[in-house]
Amino acid sequence: MVNHTVRSYDKDLDALERRIAEMGGIAEKMVIDAMDALSQADVALANQVVATDPRLDALQREIEEQAILTIARRQPMAVDLREIVGAIRVAGDLERVGDLAKNIAKRSLKIGIEARVPRAIVGLRHMNDVATELMKDVLDAYAQRDTERARAVWERDVELDALEDSVFRDLLTHMMEDPRNISFCAHLLFCSKNVERIGDHATNIAETVFYLVTGETLPAERPKGRHEYDDAAQSTGTTTP
Amino acid sequence: MNATAKPASNGVEKVSVRDLQFYYGASLALKGINLPLYERKSTAFIGPSGCGKSTLLRVLNRMYDLYPGQRAVGEVMLDGQNILDPGLDLNLLRARVGMVFQKPTPFPMSIYDNIAFGIRLYEKLPKSEMDGRVETALRRSALWTEVKDKLGANGLSLSGGQQQRLCIARTVAIKPEVILFDEPCSALDPISTAKIEELIDELREEYTIAIVTHNMQQAARVSQYTAFMYLGEMVEFDATDAVFTSPRDKRTQDYITGRFG
Repeated sequence: MVNHTVRSYDKDLDALERRIAEMGGIAEKMVIDAMDALSQADVALANQVVATDPRLDALQREIEEQAILTIARRQPMAVDLREIVGAIRVAGDLERVGDLAKNIAKRSLKIGIEARVPRAIVGLRHMNDVATELMKDVLDAYAQRDTERARAVWERDVELDALEDSVFRDLLTHMMEDPRNISFCAHLLFCSKNVERIGDHATNIAETVFYLVTGETLPAERPKGRHEYDDAAQSTGTTTP
Repeated sequence: MNATAKPASNGVEKVSVRDLQFYYGASLALKGINLPLYERKSTAFIGPSGCGKSTLLRVLNRMYDLYPGQRAVGEVMLDGQNILDPGLDLNLLRARVGMVFQKPTPFPMSIYDNIAFGIRLYEKLPKSEMDGRVETALRRSALWTEVKDKLGANGLSLSGGQQQRLCIARTVAIKPEVILFDEPCSALDPISTAKIEELIDELREEYTIAIVTHNMQQAARVSQYTAFMYLGEMVEFDATDAVFTSPRDKRTQDYITGRFG
């Protein structure tokens, strides 16, 4: 895009984008490391994930401050405005992704001493691989302002939802087979929820990318491919919020 | 591109500009403008200097008629009547389409007379009724409380912002249907500017408003529709919210984000 007449404006926007890229890199690594720590019972790695989180929080705060300053100073319009609002949103999503990865890492520390069922973790690992891929794709889509790629992530989240379903069933089976598995598998259930949420944040970022490039929003309804557990409204005939 | 496409709107077109061309002598300043002004809405004209936005505004009440060698071709329909019609009564037109200029231009007479002067041109009113009209106009333009005890004072003794509101009162007093603002705040400080903007927002309940402004934030604040002009062309016309968040034309985008030239 053509540069601004006021060059320091471009610098402001570049600085925002660089910080987002940094956040993205950190969050992505945390997601991978947390799952490795969980499946390999790697305490040091889990601790490292937990210790990384404050950096992500600090970056998010910096981005917000910088964005607010830029709005105050430049009164951004059109694509600039969307870019800045997008940065705030993406930073928020990445910070949450970091929290979720941290939760998984913390849980792996808690599990540490309990009986592990290596078979039970396979599905969750696979889920995490998909989530990591979505994160990577959506961060690339953001960096390249690639709406097609963003839309693909947005559509693929349904895959993750389906995987969560199968992980859920899988873990139930393990619990029924042997009650001694229950504690471990219950922990994994929470982890699968966390991974599913990471996918949701990837989807949010995809929506933000689409908006900041086109000025239009993706449809409110994402493709759904699974049974909704928390959908009490369905029986009453109303739509889910 | 389809720059004349109208946004989804169920507003009434108070003014419809159709294929308007405008000449300063031999040079073409407006190259076929199409534009609606919706009733009881504010429409902002934005664009770089020389794009024709003030020219367009000056066509809407035939202000250009005062100057030889300037002429407009096309149609400007006001409630279905073409105001470019040479037989049109210009005084009547200018009573229906009022104008407020960049620099406040109070007459060198009392505050009261500044307002009564215009009314007297069109109506003979008894004193009591005239007093009422003057007060209403001053109230309408949010100036009453500041000047009610000194209506006899010279209009030029007021501050810049007050003078501009006096000019708005003067315009409103004649009960126009359309009010044109030509950069009404560019000579004012931020507080006076805010007062005028607030006023424009209130006036919109009764009048159709067109405003030329160099201040894009102002256009975004006061208008419901925005027209972006460039080199005598209407590049984009749309709801203000759309123009300032996701303009369709690249030139509009470059201009409003400060990437022009």
